Order: sequence, then structure tokens, then C-alpha cells
Amino acid sequence: MERADAKPISLEELNKLREVAERARKNVIRMLFYDQSIHVGSSLSSIEILTTLVFKYQRMAESHLDRDWLILSKGHAAPALYAVLAEKGVIKESELWKIQSIDGVLQGHPETFIPGVDMSTGSLGQGLSFGLGVAKGIKMSGRNGRVFVIMGDGEQDEGQVWESFTQKVARELDNILVFIELNGFQLDGDVESIKPKAFLQAVWRDAGWNTLSCDGHDFASIVAAIEEAQKARAPTVIFASTLRGKGFKPIENSKYQRSSPDDARKFLINA
Amino acid sequence: MMQGSFSSMREAMGKELARLGELHQDLLVLTADVGDSTRASYFREKYPERYFNVGIAEQHLVDFAAGLAAAGKKPVVVNFAMFLMRAWEQMRNTVARMNLDVKFFATHSGYSDSGDGSSHQSLEDIALTRVLPNFAVVVPADPIELVKALPEILAHRGPVYMRTGRDYSPPITAGLEYEFKLGKAQVLREGDDVSIVGAGVVLWDALLAAEELRKMGVGATVINVSTVKPMDEALIEYYARKTGRIVTVEEHSVIGGIGSAVSEVIVKRYPVPMRFVGASTFGRSAKSQRELLDYYGINSSSIVKAAMEVVG
Repeated sequence: MERADAKPISLEELNKLREVAERARKNVIRMLFYDQSIHVGSSLSSIEILTTLVFKYQRMAESHLDRDWLILSKGHAAPALYAVLAEKGVIKESELWKIQSIDGVLQGHPETFIPGVDMSTGSLGQGLSFGLGVAKGIKMSGRNGRVFVIMGDGEQDEGQVWESFTQKVARELDNILVFIELNGFQLDGDVESIKPKAFLQAVWRDAGWNTLSCDGHDFASIVAAIEEAQKARAPTVIFASTLRGKGFKPIENSKYQRSSPDDARKFLINA
Repeated sequence: MMQGSFSSMREAMGKELARLGELHQDLLVLTADVGDSTRASYFREKYPERYFNVGIAEQHLVDFAAGLAAAGKKPVVVNFAMFLMRAWEQMRNTVARMNLDVKFFATHSGYSDSGDGSSHQSLEDIALTRVLPNFAVVVPADPIELVKALPEILAHRGPVYMRTGRDYSPPITAGLEYEFKLGKAQVLREGDDVSIVGAGVVLWDALLAAEELRKMGVGATVINVSTVKPMDEALIEYYARKTGRIVTVEEHSVIGGIGSAVSEVIVKRYPVPMRFVGASTFGRSAKSQRELLDYYGINSSSIVKAAMEVVG
């Protein structure tokens, strides 16, 4: 007989996550009114994954060794992180409208002086190394904290990513969960024409990682993958198919990071 | 002064680190496959569970250490100076930016990896690390000072870059009684006419030069600025006023290194004429570090010449 709690997510919970993500998505697009240089496309690619981690899985605790760390290695998606943290009440919503302002808290890329930010990022390829260090430090102290790392597919170009996931220590950790978003674009164009990534999953698997896939915009799919990762008790990487600019038609599934405030206004009125 | 015997910096570093592992239970030693060459291996032998060889992967080395520091550990990254610079951006963007408690013990600096040639010789690392906010930069004169410095460096909270050589190490501070403090310089010898300021093994040549100068009737003060950053500004100013002239000497590029750091203090507090002895280009292979120091004119005769120029 199936247990009542066997379903990883209830309809009620699903709807709640959807509402949070929808508000966060609109707030990222709204940030375009206040700063036209933010990376909207990359941010919208990450909204559902961030929402799931922050609202369903991330455990808080007094000690930094017993709580869960969230590392946005693709730091240019900072607006998504800020918008989700604002939904959580960690960041004041009014701060969102001061993004990248000299008198605001929210920087163009994450900094640890921003509430809810666990690693200063912005330079690609560094989040996993740091995350592995934190995860190992937690294990060495016999504590329970976990580490979530979010990377992009373009970010996989960095040699440091290879340096980190091939380390022997990485294969011994069961308290690290990595998301690699496959939105198919990097700064100058599509991933396929610059550095194809079709081989990635096989490489990570052969290096000893538990590899899973999900639809990075579908909560049920994200949750199912995380649940499976937890059962595996092994370092896990989830390859998440996403769309750059997801939900914002003027730039969806394109290399474009941003659109005009006018486009954003029209979109938000009709949305 | 100038007693004792020549010894090895990396040996002293490796042994002391292994000794200090007992006092600091959170102390971890990390390296990128140069454990034996750097003598980090002495720590590995005593504490294998607290030792990490991450493979030939310096960028990962630095950020992995940063993560361990964020989780409350005390990581010491041990590597060749030159190859740590490969991860300079990680030192900047993760360690310095987050002001994490990571120590960098860089061996084989300057010309000390004499045989391997210019790819392995590090003449830029002081410039590159002292420019990083939150970083302290330490260049011990010899193994005796290194042993004094290590507990102080480990007790300091925040990133520290410590630069040492390989095996050539003259006994510069032997017989001197002083407490090592970050930000404190030492006067190795007093004289009224010129101050010779430097750090590391080249202080040996500074002391030889001072002896030469004495014979020529010129009194030289020799100052050991083993903490290049924070620099002992008050002491530098005092001797600038006292002697009116400064010669700096370093086993490093004269651009951005110790000479530059001293001149930054001097122009701000008490400008005096200066001369700079140091490297101006890449090194090359040789049979010994001593050969290279002489080949590139980073030695006592160059210091004497610079001092006479500035004394005029």
C-alpha cells in the first residue's frame, strides 16, 4: 500500500510554489524598470529551481554547520535569487527596486553581506569548489548541513569545474547537490555552436557522480529529482532543462538577456 | 649577527606546520600535488585525515580551501608561489572578497627554483598579493624568523600570503631576540647615512653591503620588512628622517614589490631619495639560486653601488 506521504509534493504545495515563482518572475522583470543592465534571461531560467530549494528544502539552523547552504555559482542570475529571497522575507521587497544602486544593498552579483547569500560569486566556475569545501568542512565536523550549488551550462566551459568535480573528495560527499541548468545559451550565443555540452552528463557520471535530469521549470519534476537525489546518499548533479528568459516572451529562449522597460511594462500589464 | 648556518626554508616550513598541527585541531593542509616538493608532506605523515592533495588544480585548490574556511576550518594552502598565481583571481574573488581565513604558504618563490627556469620562478607574487584587500603579505628572512612568524600568522584571522624560498637560506636573524608581530619591521643593523630596506634571503646581501659601506665610511641601517603588508610605516618614516636616503632590495620585480611598497610610505610621510635593487625581467635556469641573484645583480655589490649613488 502506498503511504500517504509517498507523494513528494501535494497539489496544495505545488500551487504555493507556483504562486511564489510567478511573483518572483514578475519582480525580476519589474527590476528592469529600475536597472536595464541586469541579466533577466539567466535569472528567469533559475526561478523554479531557486524557489524549490528556498521554499521546500533549505533548512535553517543557528549553526552554519547544521543549516543548508545555497550557492548561486551562476552569479549573474542574482536578481532571481533576490526576488525569491524577498518572497521568503529575507530581503525587503523595496530593496529589489534599488538593485545595483549605490545606496542599495543588492549588488549586480551576490555578495555575502546581502542577507541570504552564502557565497560571493560573479566569476564563473568557482561555486562548486567552494561548495565542496563547505560540504567537506561540515562532514569533518560531524554535522548535518547540506550544500546546494546552481551552475549554468555555459559555466561548464571553465576548467575549474573539471578541477572540482573530479576531486576524489567530491565522490565521498553525500551532502552536496548540484544543479546544472541547460538553457542552451551563453553570453555570445548558443552553447551548441561555442562548446557543445551533450557529453556532460556522461562525463559527470563516469567521474563518479549520481546524475539525474529534470525539467527545471516544472516543480513536480524538480522535486522528484531532489527526492531521488536524497535517497541516493551520494554526491548528485541534476541536469535541469530550462529556457533562458522563461515566461518573458520578448527574450524567451534566446541569447538576449534583457529587453526594454517598455516591453517589460507591456508584458506585465498583459500577464 | 651573521652567525649560524645556511638552511632550507621549505624544510622549516614543513616541519613547523606539522608541529603546529597538534596545537590547532582545525588546521588543514592543502596542496595541488606538490606535497613532497613543498614539504607539506610532513603534515600528511602526521595527520593524513587533515591533509588534502586536490590534484594539479590550483584554482580548485584555492576555492576548496575557501569553502573549508567558511565552514570554520583553518586551511593552509601550500604550493609553489608561481602556480598559486594561477589562482590569483580565486584569491581575489573568493578569499579576499569574503575575507576568509585562508593562509597561503608559497614556496619556491623568487629564483629559488633555480633549475626549472623562468616558468617556475616567481618575481611578481608580492605585487599581486599585496594589492588584494584584506590580505597580509609576509616574507620571512630565514627559517628562524619563519618559525617565529608561523604561530602569529595562524592566530591572525583573515587571509595571509607567506612567501618562502626553497633551500638557499642564509642565517639572517640568528642571534636576534625579538617577537614577530604582523606589521612590525626589525632593524638588523644601525647606521646614519643610508637605510637598506628589504625582505627575505636578500637581506644577507644587505648586511654584507652594510659591512662594505662601513669600510668606506658610510653608515647603513638595514631594515627587515618581513611584513610587507601591513607595512611598518612609522619605522620606515623614522629611518627616512634619520638617514635621509633609502635603498630597497628584493628578490622580486622592482615594479609593485617591496621597493614600491616602501616608496608609497615615503612619498606620503617623508620623501627622500631612493634606489631600487631587484628584478626587471624573467629569470632563467641556473645551477643555484645564488648564481641567479648574482647574474641579475641582486647582490651586495649592487646594493653598495646604489647606496653610494644615493649618498652621493
